[in-house]
Amino acid sequence: MSTSGDIGGLWAAPDDNTVLVATGEIAVAVHPQRLVTPALGSCIGLTLWDAFTRRGGMAHIMLPSPSETRLGGLADRFASVAVPRLADAVAGGVPRHRLVAKIAGGATMFGGDTGMASIGARNAEAVRHELSLLHIPLLAEDVGGTHARTMELYLDTGLVVVRSYRYGIREL
Amino acid sequence: MDPLALNPIQRDAMREVGSIGAGHAATALSQMLGMPVDIDVPDLQVLSIPEIPTVLGGPENLVGAVYGRLLGDLAGGLLFVVARDALLQLSDLLRSRAPGTSKSLGAAEEATVTHAASVLMSAYLAAVARLTELSTLPGPPQFAFDMLGAILEGVTTQIGLKAETAIFVLTRFSTPETSVDAALLYLPDPDSLDVMLGRLGVL
Repeated sequence: MSTSGDIGGLWAAPDDNTVLVATGEIAVAVHPQRLVTPALGSCIGLTLWDAFTRRGGMAHIMLPSPSETRLGGLADRFASVAVPRLADAVAGGVPRHRLVAKIAGGATMFGGDTGMASIGARNAEAVRHELSLLHIPLLAEDVGGTHARTMELYLDTGLVVVRSYRYGIREL
Repeated sequence: MDPLALNPIQRDAMREVGSIGAGHAATALSQMLGMPVDIDVPDLQVLSIPEIPTVLGGPENLVGAVYGRLLGDLAGGLLFVVARDALLQLSDLLRSRAPGTSKSLGAAEEATVTHAASVLMSAYLAAVARLTELSTLPGPPQFAFDMLGAILEGVTTQIGLKAETAIFVLTRFSTPETSVDAALLYLPDPDSLDVMLGRLGVL
């Protein structure tokens, strides 16, 4: 594992097919592209994938809903906004319930503070709730704990690879 | 006000607070360790939070971090960040051992660095308190060792996304033999920054 200043870090070296999803953003891509979001802490990485078109999308969600903050900024950082928007963008006209979802993240990076300590768990719960409203099945999840994760979605098979310094590579 | 809108005089005032804080912290650490330790502030920048990983080696860079939530007259957070290798060096420096002695992060290294960061934060807050007559206390220091991006995320969500920008204070610990660079990030609540600048007389 690289610990240098190399931004490549844990995931397979970025190439022309790598689509990077930054914090609070959503993105849609088609095979042979692959979607990556680095360093999920209390945030949730959500992937939606359509097996027929081999299209998929990824969101890096920070908080459950816009009521959590009084600042402006990216609306896609909230579960209540990002999940339906990503579902519409990936489906692009086909029924949304044809998509399948996987999630990772929702960790607690710093324990011991009051109230907000469970923000990761609240994020995960908000994403599950939004998915259920859209009738999108949640196939797999790797959430909770106290460690950071990087999430990748391969669009040919729908494979999600979750990497962390603590547990190495996990496939969902 | 938004920290990105700080004018040169206001930045100088923030730098001055940083230097005075570093002086306090150096005195405290020297007393604690029974040997001279210098702390300098060679650089101070104001960055938007998404920019921070780019100056600290990328979102997946493995770093040690100590977070102290601010309570009292000023709200926000203080985050001490040190890269993995520098973390081990800092631990050696603070335990009077030859550089390179620590090979891995254990409970002793974690405790040493957490303690040093806690002293540094308290010293900064004491400097702020002396200059502004504002009373601010740090919450209990919390340690994490993981990807930088995830740690920043943890901090910004804990303070309720109130901070969009951070004041980045490069902090250099040195003894006659060695020196180690770390970063102290001050993530102010925008209202708190106004209060502090007002008290410093540069608003």
